[in-house]
Amino acid sequence: MALLEVRDLHVFYGNIEALKGISLDAEPGQIMAILGGNGAGKSTTLRAISGLLRPRSGSITFGGRSIVGLEAHVIVGMGLSQVPEGRRIFNVLTVEENLNLGGYMVRAHRELVRTRKASVYRLFPRLAERHAQLAGTLSGGEQQMLAIGRALMSEPKLLMLDEPSLGLSPILSRSVLKTVRQVANQGTAVLLVEQNARQALAIADHACVIETGTIVLEGDAATLAKDERVQKAYLGGFEAMASG
Amino acid sequence: MIGLLADRRIGRALASSREQLTRFPFWVRVIVFLAIVGGVVLLNGDNYVTAVAVSVATYAMLGLGLNIVVGFAGLLDLGYAAFFAIGAYTSALLMTQAHWNFFATLPLAVLFTGTAGAILGYPTLRLRSDYLAIVTLGFGEMTRIAITNWDYAGGPNGVWNIPWPSAFGYEFNTQAAFLVVSLCLLAIAMIFAQNLDHSRLGRGWVAMREDEFAAEAVGVPTLRLKLLAYVMGGMWAGLAGAFFATRIGTIDPTSFTFQLSVLVLIVVVLGGTGSLPGVLLGALVVVALPEVLRQFATYRILIFAILLIGMMLLRPQGLWPRVRRKPKPFYGLRDDEARDVSEEILREHQLQVAARGRHLAKAGHPEVGQGEVLLKVRNLAQQFGGLRAVEDLSFEVLRGEIFSIIGPNGAGKTTVFNCITGVKKPRQGSIEFNGRSVVGLRPHVIVSRGIGRTFQGIRLFKLMAVFENVMAGLYPRHRAMTWQAMLHTPGERREEVQTLQESRRWLSFVGLEHAAGRLASELSYADQRRVEIARALASHPQLVLFDEPAAGMNPPEKAALVGTIRKIRDLGITVVLIDHDMSLVMRVSDRIAVLDQGRLIAMGKPDDIQQDPRVIAAYLGREEDELDLAEARGA
Amino acid sequence: MHAFLEYTVTGLTVGSFYALVALGYTIVYGIIRLINFAQGDLSMVGAFLGWTLLVPLGFEHLPIYLAVVAAFLIPMLGTAVINLGILQFAYKPLLRRSLLAILITALGMSLLLQNTVLLVYGPSIDAYPPNLVPATGFYVGPVHVTYVQTALVAVSLLLMGGLVLFVQGTTIGTAMRALAQDHDAARLMGIDVDAIIRVAFVLGAMLAAASGVMLGIYYIQIQFTFGFLLGLRAFTAAVLGGIGNIPGAMAGGFLIGLLEAYTTGYVSGKWEDVVVFAVLIGVLVVKPTGLFGERVAERM
Repeated sequence: MALLEVRDLHVFYGNIEALKGISLDAEPGQIMAILGGNGAGKSTTLRAISGLLRPRSGSITFGGRSIVGLEAHVIVGMGLSQVPEGRRIFNVLTVEENLNLGGYMVRAHRELVRTRKASVYRLFPRLAERHAQLAGTLSGGEQQMLAIGRALMSEPKLLMLDEPSLGLSPILSRSVLKTVRQVANQGTAVLLVEQNARQALAIADHACVIETGTIVLEGDAATLAKDERVQKAYLGGFEAMASG
Repeated sequence: MIGLLADRRIGRALASSREQLTRFPFWVRVIVFLAIVGGVVLLNGDNYVTAVAVSVATYAMLGLGLNIVVGFAGLLDLGYAAFFAIGAYTSALLMTQAHWNFFATLPLAVLFTGTAGAILGYPTLRLRSDYLAIVTLGFGEMTRIAITNWDYAGGPNGVWNIPWPSAFGYEFNTQAAFLVVSLCLLAIAMIFAQNLDHSRLGRGWVAMREDEFAAEAVGVPTLRLKLLAYVMGGMWAGLAGAFFATRIGTIDPTSFTFQLSVLVLIVVVLGGTGSLPGVLLGALVVVALPEVLRQFATYRILIFAILLIGMMLLRPQGLWPRVRRKPKPFYGLRDDEARDVSEEILREHQLQVAARGRHLAKAGHPEVGQGEVLLKVRNLAQQFGGLRAVEDLSFEVLRGEIFSIIGPNGAGKTTVFNCITGVKKPRQGSIEFNGRSVVGLRPHVIVSRGIGRTFQGIRLFKLMAVFENVMAGLYPRHRAMTWQAMLHTPGERREEVQTLQESRRWLSFVGLEHAAGRLASELSYADQRRVEIARALASHPQLVLFDEPAAGMNPPEKAALVGTIRKIRDLGITVVLIDHDMSLVMRVSDRIAVLDQGRLIAMGKPDDIQQDPRVIAAYLGREEDELDLAEARGA
Repeated sequence: MHAFLEYTVTGLTVGSFYALVALGYTIVYGIIRLINFAQGDLSMVGAFLGWTLLVPLGFEHLPIYLAVVAAFLIPMLGTAVINLGILQFAYKPLLRRSLLAILITALGMSLLLQNTVLLVYGPSIDAYPPNLVPATGFYVGPVHVTYVQTALVAVSLLLMGGLVLFVQGTTIGTAMRALAQDHDAARLMGIDVDAIIRVAFVLGAMLAAASGVMLGIYYIQIQFTFGFLLGLRAFTAAVLGGIGNIPGAMAGGFLIGLLEAYTTGYVSGKWEDVVVFAVLIGVLVVKPTGLFGERVAERM
């Protein structure tokens, strides 16, 4: 049994069916990439798993327990952490305070918070340099590092990232994705929503492509990277023309 | 269970009788209803009951006025008693000091309160609604204190011996007579409010309440509409105030406290914000309930408070919530209209554009010709909290072309749109449209200059019908005056029908005529995007900006979109498009600009863009990145 | 000059009451965007609870420190419980639904509190023990300052300092500031939003109750209607400083207190409100988010 099992998930916004039966798994130490165009339902999938949205039907089990209908903060406590789209760091707080909130669940254990902060700073030395700075004054790349670091503060079993490369240069997004790979290699399960298909497929183990609320393709990341249908479904004509 | 069934049956019976009723025009229903109420109360003959009924009518009038501000326009007002006071004092002083007839004072009372509305409204237009609460509250208190300290108006003692109203030698001096007068005034207030609600103005208000930002961006002058709401609301209170003064005979500042403002607000919200029958019901509850509770003496207000809280908890939408008018789209339109609407649209569009061209040429701003530079962006820069969204960006769009802006998410594409449409003021740089700068103009002005747009995250007015959304987009093209809307004049009616016709044509242009009557929020994403396109086109723009119109669409829907975009270009409208779907962009565009990290990295024809290695690197990453990353996986 | 300094002392004293109540408005508003109109009435309830302890229950005869501490702490706790009840029964069901409905409910709550107190304590004026704190004072240069004024301002500064420490220094306080910015992101940190809202209501009620007791000690006479006026001033103060902003609420409170004292001193008590509101409107026209308010990011 996989760590996270999503089965036949249906989510509605009012009368609009945003997800029409999504099923996917996430395993420890592995990256599952979710690809698709804007508006396809990638973020909705993550928001439904993390409890920010209530699904209309379908099941989500995490570590063998159903988490459908649980409050978001309870789900976080079970070891599931999400880096939301657009980073959503707390601009009015300092870098350090942002990280402290990431460790909110273990706030009573100051020592634990301190050691976890130290390991986040090791992962992102730039954040250590700027620990007393207001988060709103960071550059885009630093903000993304902070968002990821903040999510790691709860030492999640499953980390979900929503477009971590948004607004970053290729070099920066590459280094961010590399970090994500490192995190996975340490045994964390990762769900990665990305629009940058080529980079995402390069680091992921498995992948699926969502289109208007349904999974149209899924499989091994390396295989999908070569699949012509991926290029058609997601990359549009660009990939084809780039190679041709 | 049985109760539930019975409920349902009653509900159905009510619904069908409501349908029966709606066959009569609103004004007939209002007059008949108020006549019956008046008749019953008068036949009862109890002076006390009549007096309470007059009070209910006064509060209902006040409620109708506040409903325009709170219900229609969505602005919070906690100082409404001030308008009531100004109306009452104006009328009272004119009658006692200048010996005017009551009915002659009404226009001045209304004029003064309307002006007071403008005075309150003007400095507060840009405030958020929570701040409005305290500013309006302050206005109410200031007015009351000013009156208390105004010796000419009797200071704290107020104005005494206000004469009864008289007309044609008849003096209104009994409660019964007052009831008749108050019901007449109430009927007028009801009918005017209803007409306003169902006019272009009412549509603008609803749009503004639903999404102020989107309303402004499709051409609704939101600041002017807010001001108008205050003025209108003030006028209603002026009417009620004048009536109150003559009926009571003595007024003093203690009649116009914050508590009164709160009570009127309760009338509106308890009844159902925005609902006219709700106001009547709310007034009945607020005035009559404490009367009924009079036997409980000191517990009276306590019980009232508990009931009030209970009612709000049980029915947060109010006792008689605003029912959305079942839209009868295209009511009164010929069904046999020419089937080929595109031709009709083309003609209409050309007429409108030509009219604007003449207008502009007369003002000394001739339009550019086909193939010339329509939109010129120079050295544009914009940043948000340390993040540079756009840097030193320059490009030109030629009249008649389809121009696309592509780039990864976060590259600054939408920011460019926001700068062009006046939503954001650029830090640096110039934007010229038709040879004239548009930097610093309000968004609705830019719409009337001829730029329309859609939004990346769909921003339709969710609680309006689809055709009403498109009609809101027609706002800048029409000019019925407020008084015409209030009286529902033939001229206004004609214009409404025209608006309806046009919105129908635009809907069939995007292939959505069948969905016209549904709520915007009920449609699929793809259809909502098409409604947005129709709404943007309804203002007859010269240039439209589409922000990711294909997001959330499946392949057949995308194919249809390509057709629509080409049809729009064939109308002579220049199109600027942002999208991620490369096959769509490549198929439809004449020229493409590529943004990355807020900078322009390439521009040219689709073929050139496809071969540009910088574009491919920025957009897809390089091959070596892949190897690099794949290594990380192997580790 | 002498008169000016006297007015300043009065203004600061009264201003500290406003500042405490304004903080309650601002904390609650910052988190759930609700103007809790019952805030001023909570202060009034606190004053009556304090009076009950001191006079009918005879706490005034205890040693002064004990009496004062009890007269502050017990009403603060009692009012906090009441405010939690209000949150749970009256506001919670309406949160995230209709802001207008919840505003009316808050106004109804204000009426309810006033009339409950009216019922329990009657419409007459009750009096705090006049000599709880020695009525004498001392001179700072030419200006006479009473011990009561000194003590009250000191207590309110202490409370405000405590609040600032809590909000700036603890994780819960950090969570409160985070919530003011982004509810969803806070939930993703594992923050129980409802619990934090409860904390805000407890803090707001405690500050309000403290200011109520202080008002009783300062003015001696209390009546069930005073909460409304106090609430109005405090709300004005909160908006003047920039609602949602903690330093803003404090500054706004003192500013309104001073403004009021100067107007009464130099012009006339009749025009107090007019001057206060005129300044408020003037400030908002120039700076629509209040003196300390930050620009709220517009959603796109």
